[in-house]
Amino acid sequence: MSPLDHPWFRTGLAILLVMVLLAPAFAWAAGQVGYAEPLENAAETTGATDAAETLNPGLMPDYGVPGLGAAPGTLVSALVGTALTLVLAMGMGRVLAD
Amino acid sequence: MHIPDGFLDLTVAAVCALASIAALAYAARRVDGELSDARAPLLGLVAVGIFAAQMLDWPIPGGTSAHFVGGAFAAILLGPHLGALCVATVVTVQALVFGDGGIVVLGANVFNMAIVEVYVGYAVYRALAGHNEVAAAFAAGWLGITAGALSAAVQLGLSSAFAYELGTVVLIMGVGHLVLGLIEGAITAVVYRAVVDARPDVLPASPLREVRA
Repeated sequence: MSPLDHPWFRTGLAILLVMVLLAPAFAWAAGQVGYAEPLENAAETTGATDAAETLNPGLMPDYGVPGLGAAPGTLVSALVGTALTLVLAMGMGRVLAD
Repeated sequence: MHIPDGFLDLTVAAVCALASIAALAYAARRVDGELSDARAPLLGLVAVGIFAAQMLDWPIPGGTSAHFVGGAFAAILLGPHLGALCVATVVTVQALVFGDGGIVVLGANVFNMAIVEVYVGYAVYRALAGHNEVAAAFAAGWLGITAGALSAAVQLGLSSAFAYELGTVVLIMGVGHLVLGLIEGAITAVVYRAVVDARPDVLPASPLREVRA
């Protein structure tokens, strides 16, 4: 039986799609208010900010796509990330269920 | 709460990595064979829900903000062991594909968000669910994320980049997430309530239902 045969699974995916579509708007709003987490505030207070280094930028650095604009990049990242996470988690579920 | 590379001393990162590997191996052994085919898709949905929710940064004006982490949420919906594996998957994808959280410090980020937040959140939920399940879910999200933040703060405060200012880091991160955690708790409670109303059968047996049975 495919997971898609479960109505609750399809509902869940639909809700997730809405969240993915909202991601660029949230990213824009976070930029507008100068989003900073307590971790970043603590780094600034103790002078650690410059110690941060990027050893692995990732294929999609900072949830963006090089060459693509901010909003489309965030949207593509959200789509790729959700699809990849879904495949990995369900694969893990299959292995653990066996 | 994702620590970038360069923030933790190598010894701190190594200890955290070993602790995470041990905890996840324990979790995998506890889950192995107990996951039913019917609940496997729920694991996928919760993992994706956490990934997507973590992308939605709360745009709170004033310089201090956060996003949903979801450790307690995963623990309540999936049980703590599967919840830990679920959040660890999300944190690993974030680090490897999106550079969100460092590579050397991946073990620390997994420890804080997938181990501490998940198991503390679940313990809080179990302790309070007998009185009120929704309030228990709220407290689990609230105190779970605060515990994860304190764990990160201790690791950072014991590292040279943060000048070993343990007290300062614990204060900033602890108080920050104690306040921001109220939103984490509220989201945890609201979504938990929605899932209970829609599909109570996909949840692990709750303490309340066990007591009633």
